[in-house]
Amino acid sequence: MLDIQIWFYTGCALVILGSLGTVFGPGVKDPVVRILNTEIPAVGLSLIFLTYNHTIALLTFIAATVIITLILLRAVVRLEEMGAEL
Amino acid sequence: MLVPDLVSPFVVSLYNPVIAVGILVGFIGLLGISFQKNDLSVLILTDIVGIAMLIVVAAVATDLAEALILPGLVVELAEILAISEILMSREMRKSGKKVELLPVPLSLDMEILKTAPNFIALALVAYGVFLTGFTGGAVAGVGILFYVLSKTYRGIPFGLWEGMSGASGIAWCLWIAGFLIFFVFPQIWLLGLFLSSCGLLVKVASKIGLVGVMGREEFKKE
Repeated sequence: MLDIQIWFYTGCALVILGSLGTVFGPGVKDPVVRILNTEIPAVGLSLIFLTYNHTIALLTFIAATVIITLILLRAVVRLEEMGAEL
Repeated sequence: MLVPDLVSPFVVSLYNPVIAVGILVGFIGLLGISFQKNDLSVLILTDIVGIAMLIVVAAVATDLAEALILPGLVVELAEILAISEILMSREMRKSGKKVELLPVPLSLDMEILKTAPNFIALALVAYGVFLTGFTGGAVAGVGILFYVLSKTYRGIPFGLWEGMSGASGIAWCLWIAGFLIFFVFPQIWLLGLFLSSCGLLVKVASKIGLVGVMGREEFKKE
C-alpha cells in the first residue's frame, strides 16, 4: 500500500513545474505549445483533488479542462486564419 | 477550536503546504501575465491562475470545498470563453476578414442534423428538467447547444437569447430565495431545496446564452 502523501506531493510538484513550464518553458512562443503545457498543472491539480477525495469536483474538472482546451485551440485556429500576429 | 473534530488530522496537516503551493502557482502565473505583451498568451496564462484559485479552494477540504469548486469551474469556463470571443471579434474588426464560426475539417452536412434536432433537443431538455440541479442543467444545456448548432445554417431568432439572459437573472433570485428559506424557515426545507435546484437548473442551462453573444454578431440574422 503506497502512502497517500506520495500522490499529494507528486501533484504539488507537477503543478509548480507545469506552471513554470507554461510561463518560461522552451518553445512557448508558439501558442499551441503553451496550451499543451497547461495540461501538466491540470494533471497535478487532479492528483491533489484525488488525495482530498473530491470525486465530483475531479470529474467536472476533467470535463471543463477538455472544453477549455477546445476553446483555446479554436481561438488559435481562427486568429491564425485571420492572419493575426501570435 | 477552529477546525471541527470530524475533519481528519491528515487533511488538517495538508492545509499549510496546499496554501503555499496555491499562492506560489498564482504568483508564477501573474508574473507571466505581467511580462507578456501578446493577448493570446495572456489568455492561456489565465488558465494557470484559475488552477491556482482551485488549489486554494481545494485546501478547505470536506464537502464545502466540493460545493465551491463546481461554481468556480463554471465561472472560469465562462470567463475564458468570453475573453476569447472578445479577442477574436476585435481581430476581425481590425483585419476586416470573416472566418468560420467552428473551424472543423468536416463539413457538418449530415441528414441527422436536419431531421432529428427537434426530437433529440426536446428529449435532452425534458430529461434535464427531470434531473434538476447541476447535472440536469448540464444535460439540458447540451440539448440547447445541439439544437443551436444544427440550426446554424438557417439562422436563429436572436430575441430568444435576450429572453435567456433574463431567465438567468430570475434563476439567481430563485437560488438565493432557496438558501434564505434554508436558514430562516428550516421546517420547510423541501421548498427551499426545490427552489435552489430549479434555479441552478435554469442557471447552468442558460450558460449557453453566452453563445448568444456570438449569435448576435456572426450567425445569420433573420
